[in-house]
Amino acid sequence: MGASETRWCLRPGQHLAYRQWDGKCVLYNDLSGDTHLLGDGGIELLLALRQGPATRQALAAVLQAEFDIDADALERETGTLLDDLQHLYLIDTLAC
Amino acid sequence: MLTAAPLTAAPLTVASLSRSQLEARLAGPGLTVRTGPFTSRIHSAIPQVADGIELLYGAYPLLGDGDFADFHVGLRRPGGLHRWYKPQVSFDLDGLVPFEPLPEAHAFPMLEWGLNWCISTRAHAYLMIHAAVVERDGLAAILPAPPGSGKSTLCAALVHRGWRLLSDELALFCPRDGRLLPVPRPVSLKNRSIEVIRDYVAGAVLSAPVSNTTKGTVAHLKAPPASVARAGESARPAWIVFPKYEAGAATSLEAIPRARAFFRVADNAFNYSHMGASGFATLAGAIDACASYDFRYSELDEAIAVFAALEAPR
Repeated sequence: MGASETRWCLRPGQHLAYRQWDGKCVLYNDLSGDTHLLGDGGIELLLALRQGPATRQALAAVLQAEFDIDADALERETGTLLDDLQHLYLIDTLAC
Repeated sequence: MLTAAPLTAAPLTVASLSRSQLEARLAGPGLTVRTGPFTSRIHSAIPQVADGIELLYGAYPLLGDGDFADFHVGLRRPGGLHRWYKPQVSFDLDGLVPFEPLPEAHAFPMLEWGLNWCISTRAHAYLMIHAAVVERDGLAAILPAPPGSGKSTLCAALVHRGWRLLSDELALFCPRDGRLLPVPRPVSLKNRSIEVIRDYVAGAVLSAPVSNTTKGTVAHLKAPPASVARAGESARPAWIVFPKYEAGAATSLEAIPRARAFFRVADNAFNYSHMGASGFATLAGAIDACASYDFRYSELDEAIAVFAALEAPR
């Protein structure tokens, strides 16, 4: 399965307790116990994944719909956000 | 027909004890006293402890020897040569001695610090922030700040200019309803603040200053009796004000974005991480409910005027 077909999901146990104030999102991480300050893009991806697993392409489409962003920046931003959120144990790839 | 009004006896207070009765309780079964949601049983035969309690705790409810106490604390003279040469005092909680002994003259401040420690390390039913809290018309202002920021000085001035004291040290948020519970105990003043408040508050009742403590010279200001009498009344959080005293600074109040305020309050929490998701929900609720500000001041009268003009957040 190629990278474009990899499906992403919320890590089990994440309930996405968060608040959005003035364009900033403060989110509680149920697995690490940390509290994160996220930008708009990060919380959009997490909320999309709350609906169910999704491919990178589908998640990029979510960002495209929300933000005025060109194709190169979209590709870069999607990859960075997925890496960051995975590093924080908020999301992961499905095993199969 | 005669109808009898229900008899409700006023609760006994520490002031109902004579000095000899107070000393006998402290040296014997313990003095059991209620401060807000907490009950402490205090044991000590050291005169400075009785002095401080007699001066500052007269208005607090006095409980019996058989009543439940959250904290069983002692201020005692450790053994050894120090008993005769430079006498010392040590603090214990349920037999645990968490701190190094201090000079005996520091006994009353050590009691105050020890009681703060008991609450901040054990009362995890509440989200606890290192902050002063004052209330007016049911709305509370929370003043989180590190030592040296002028928090207690400002708090002492406010509670003698129309605000009710909830605490000068601990903001206790109840996770169930987000309200603030009072723990109105004496206000800890340090160094120059002692004279500032003695001059600012007519008739201020202060414990004898104790010098050469780890915090410099300290004295404790008696909590207003009206605040002690209302220790059962919680308050709704309305303002978060980060105070900063700066000599000569112009008074200024600047709004802080909520996300930044969240992390700054969390930085001043004793148990935010310990409480997990409940701590997040409680603090987020407080940030939702409050307007948050940075506040700089050098003149107490101007500071009081700024607080008087705070508008209830919508």
